[in-house]
Amino acid sequence: MNRRTKRRIAAAFRFGFLGASLFAVGFPIYWMIITSFKPDNEWFTWPPIYWSENWTLDNYRVVWLGIQARITAQEAFTMQKPLQALKHSLALALISTTLSVAFGTLIAYGVSRYRILSDRRMFNLLMLRMIPPIVVAAPLTLYYSALNLLDTLTGLVIVYVITTIPYTVWMTKSFIDEIPHEMEQAAEILGASRWQTIWEVIFPLIRSGVVATFLFILILTWSEYLLALILSKVDVVTLPVQLSKYEGTTEGRVYGYQAALAVGVTLPLIVIGCFIRKHLVRGFTFGMVKR
Amino acid sequence: MTASATETAAGTGAAPARGSRSRGIRIFKWTLLTPLFSLFFFLMPVFLLQLYFSLHSWTIYLSSWWDADYAGFDLFREVLTESRFYWAFARSFLFAGLSTVGCFIIGFGLALLMYRPFRGHSVFYVLFILPMLTVPIVISYTADMLLFRSGPINDIMSFLAGTEIRFTWLANPNFAIFTIIMLEIWNWTPFAFIIMLAGLSSLPAEPVEAARILGASRLRIFWEIQIPLLRPVIFLALILRFLEAMAEFPKTWGLLQGGPGTSTETIPVYLYIVTWRAFNVSKGAAASYLVMLLMIVIILSAIYVLRREKKALDALYEKPAGGGEA
Amino acid sequence: MKKAHVSRRKFLKGALATAVAAPALLRAGGAKAGPEEDRIVKASKKYGKASLNGMMWALYWRNYPRLNTEFKGLTGISMDQVNDVPNLLIPQRAMAEAISRSGKFDIFHVESMMIPSLVAAGLVEPLDGYMKEAGFKLEMVGNFASFMKYQDVTYALPTDGNVCPQFIRKDLFENPDEQKNFADKHGKPLKWPETWEDELEIMKFFHRPDKELFGFGGLRDKENSSFWYWMYLYSAGGFPFSDDAEPTLTTPAAEYAADTFLARKQVSHPEAAAWGSPQMIPRIVEGKIFSAQYWDGIIARIEGSPTPTTGKWLYGVPPGSKFSGRLIKRAFSAPVMGLIVNKLSPRKKQAAMWSLYMTTAKNSTEVVAHPTMTFHDPWHPVHMTAPEVEKVYGGKAGMESIRKSLLVTTPPPYVTGYQEFKEAVDKNLSEAYAGRKSGKQAIKDAQEEWGKIVKKIGKARIKKEIPYYKAMMPKMDVPT
Repeated sequence: MNRRTKRRIAAAFRFGFLGASLFAVGFPIYWMIITSFKPDNEWFTWPPIYWSENWTLDNYRVVWLGIQARITAQEAFTMQKPLQALKHSLALALISTTLSVAFGTLIAYGVSRYRILSDRRMFNLLMLRMIPPIVVAAPLTLYYSALNLLDTLTGLVIVYVITTIPYTVWMTKSFIDEIPHEMEQAAEILGASRWQTIWEVIFPLIRSGVVATFLFILILTWSEYLLALILSKVDVVTLPVQLSKYEGTTEGRVYGYQAALAVGVTLPLIVIGCFIRKHLVRGFTFGMVKR
Repeated sequence: MTASATETAAGTGAAPARGSRSRGIRIFKWTLLTPLFSLFFFLMPVFLLQLYFSLHSWTIYLSSWWDADYAGFDLFREVLTESRFYWAFARSFLFAGLSTVGCFIIGFGLALLMYRPFRGHSVFYVLFILPMLTVPIVISYTADMLLFRSGPINDIMSFLAGTEIRFTWLANPNFAIFTIIMLEIWNWTPFAFIIMLAGLSSLPAEPVEAARILGASRLRIFWEIQIPLLRPVIFLALILRFLEAMAEFPKTWGLLQGGPGTSTETIPVYLYIVTWRAFNVSKGAAASYLVMLLMIVIILSAIYVLRREKKALDALYEKPAGGGEA
Repeated sequence: MKKAHVSRRKFLKGALATAVAAPALLRAGGAKAGPEEDRIVKASKKYGKASLNGMMWALYWRNYPRLNTEFKGLTGISMDQVNDVPNLLIPQRAMAEAISRSGKFDIFHVESMMIPSLVAAGLVEPLDGYMKEAGFKLEMVGNFASFMKYQDVTYALPTDGNVCPQFIRKDLFENPDEQKNFADKHGKPLKWPETWEDELEIMKFFHRPDKELFGFGGLRDKENSSFWYWMYLYSAGGFPFSDDAEPTLTTPAAEYAADTFLARKQVSHPEAAAWGSPQMIPRIVEGKIFSAQYWDGIIARIEGSPTPTTGKWLYGVPPGSKFSGRLIKRAFSAPVMGLIVNKLSPRKKQAAMWSLYMTTAKNSTEVVAHPTMTFHDPWHPVHMTAPEVEKVYGGKAGMESIRKSLLVTTPPPYVTGYQEFKEAVDKNLSEAYAGRKSGKQAIKDAQEEWGKIVKKIGKARIKKEIPYYKAMMPKMDVPT
């Protein structure tokens, strides 16, 4: 009996802790979502409104389509549209992620099989990621302007590839390391070239790992803020930068707009993240911890 | 850097190299490395420019940058005599240190509660990783919606406490940094959680079973068997999180821009303000150089630890049939 | 394929534009151009058509599309792409543009305080030639036109006066019970405050945090603190530089200004240290603030459409100070937004003409009198009496307060490197406000930082700028 109560207490404690954590995790997300559907007179009230009676899609219309009740469509024309930011964000994330994963996989293969980078250099590669990008922001701007790369997709793609390549190398290496060498030896005996071996033997085996790496890097590039803020101007605008445009207005705080944009920006990441949840560990730990 | 790599390269462990074959391998290796080297060379001028600016007094409205006056180490001296710089460092360390510890404790706690499967396990798992998947700048805006004095968080706390609470989360200069730390913890607890969960589930079952049979208490098993086995994973979680937290910018900037006063001005915020708000490009460059040097020292020591722990980790994952090291 | 796509989109744009423009054109009463506009149109025609790129915050841009379409029809010059950047970020973007020298942007809509720095960076086109060519005369209330010039050359055309009159809650201030209580407590009648000390006394009386009413609603955060500080400093007869370009931030007047700045903490909202306009304006509009010096656009925000405090405010000139021995009243205008033309742009001539067209007396009145977008505040003498502006700003009282405040309005330090000087003062004042240091220490630290900045920018350069900066000061002590 004593034991049973003890176990019950333990279970209560356990679910209490889990429940509290769930609330802590869920409430801000819930609040963001519900605010995005609230009309403007409910964004900012005391007591707060936890469940709106007047759901509206206006906020989404304003931030995603640039349509506002107070302005005419004509007035909105010349403005940059959030959909354009969406397009840029998408292109940027896909291109830079593809390149990063392609380069990373090749390097990882070389490291795993030919040791083209020593152990020490592999670790030093991590520095590319760990040095805060802000320390090179100013000279990077100048350098980019000299190369005419400022405000171009190419320019941002290059920095994103640089900052994500440590992840791709390490992560894909951890997948390649799991493949027995016999596969390649067999391919070699059958007369396959090195590139053929990579493409036809190794790649199919690590495909799911590469997809996981790809999606993981997509998360990183999609949410990057600082470099995009500094290196983009007019031709390229990404969603996190677009979000900062709703920072201040004399309309007061525009919580609903911010939330509507935020939901749109975050949703794809949550979908991707849940899809590759098993590989997230490997991603964030540079493939050092597996699940 | 490449000569030694070529010499030590052992190939696939296949037959010894013939002349043309080894040349083929060499070309192949270089091909694989090309993207990395091109990126590296592409990036080099940035660091040189940074060095140039930190030694020359220049900002945008002072004539062309190539005509800037040589200032020697004046700018470094200016940065190093500025108490604001040291305060920013102290805050960065406080921020990174506390948030790392916070993330780790909560994340480990959750992992301990969840490493044995139960009903609804995967639902909990998915929900717990959500904060990590949220865009940081979004978090700062959501926090602004939640934390103002008559906002929902104070309302909920008032409800729980049964008395009206109007806590100042953001404008209190002594507390603001802790608010930001809490946001960082909220954001990145999943990171520690998934790492520790993965670590716990990969622990070998035998030592724990053996200890249990010998009658060891749960606590003792935890401290004396599980923790030592988990050490590499713990180090990894702490180190990686600490380094990322040192570079955190979007949340700190988006929410308070370093204010009130300078009470949430961490190193990245300081650098941003000096360079992009005051346009003090040269001073920003000197400060950046100092930060970079310090970060390199920190990262190198972190890498030293990581390398050690990686070996232990690999041993943990070593499977009888596994490929592992070439 | 790409071309077809673009042209289809353009077609759609055109069709939609015509559809929505029709009522807008009717609203403006046929939009007959006056002689000034005709001259600009005539001058523009010889430069040919151009499709311009501008950098302007969306909230400002929304007042221009009709005029833009009109100008396009008349000359073929139009702003076709607007980079939506918040005001706060435009200086940074403009500076980045000065680094890259790409000529990508033709017009920047930026605060006029940036002119000295941007001129030094070689980014700004002088406008006097174009103004002469088109017979355009820049007229602004009082001495205000000097805000658009640098060393007697015009570099910007105003769009937004942004002066801060005094706001006081009428329903509370004129309440007989309150007046009686105040007279009983202080032994004198409740009158419109003449000095900062009077204002503080009154704000203390009305400061009732338990009832969610706060005495003062000025900003005290890291971005805006210095604006209020300059007002206090100038009204005490102070000036931040000596004629020899030495910073003078530790004078008695500066100390007085810092004390005045910090004294308002006791009557402010506890969260004020972290608030900018987005947080403060709802409080003012919802009636949680008793008094403030605040941007005049808020008058239109309050009076233009029904809000909880519509009709419940008194507007006037901010208090002053007798610190210098005589009563001096000063208001502040910052950031005063203006259109500047990129010197490096191949379309700069057309861009200059476009800017002129948007700032004629008639057209700027239309912009300022926009019924809902209240970001553009009056600056032209014509605005002060125009009935449509008056209507938006809730009648004569509001307009009179704006006009009078403009007569004594003052700029932040109008010198090269303004952002650096501003940052140093903002940082130290907001630290003092947060309780991290005393006011005296704050101005001492700011003084020290200014010394370094002056040294870096060059004493000679600043020294040359100071007479012009001084000449921007109002010619009268108290507006009439």
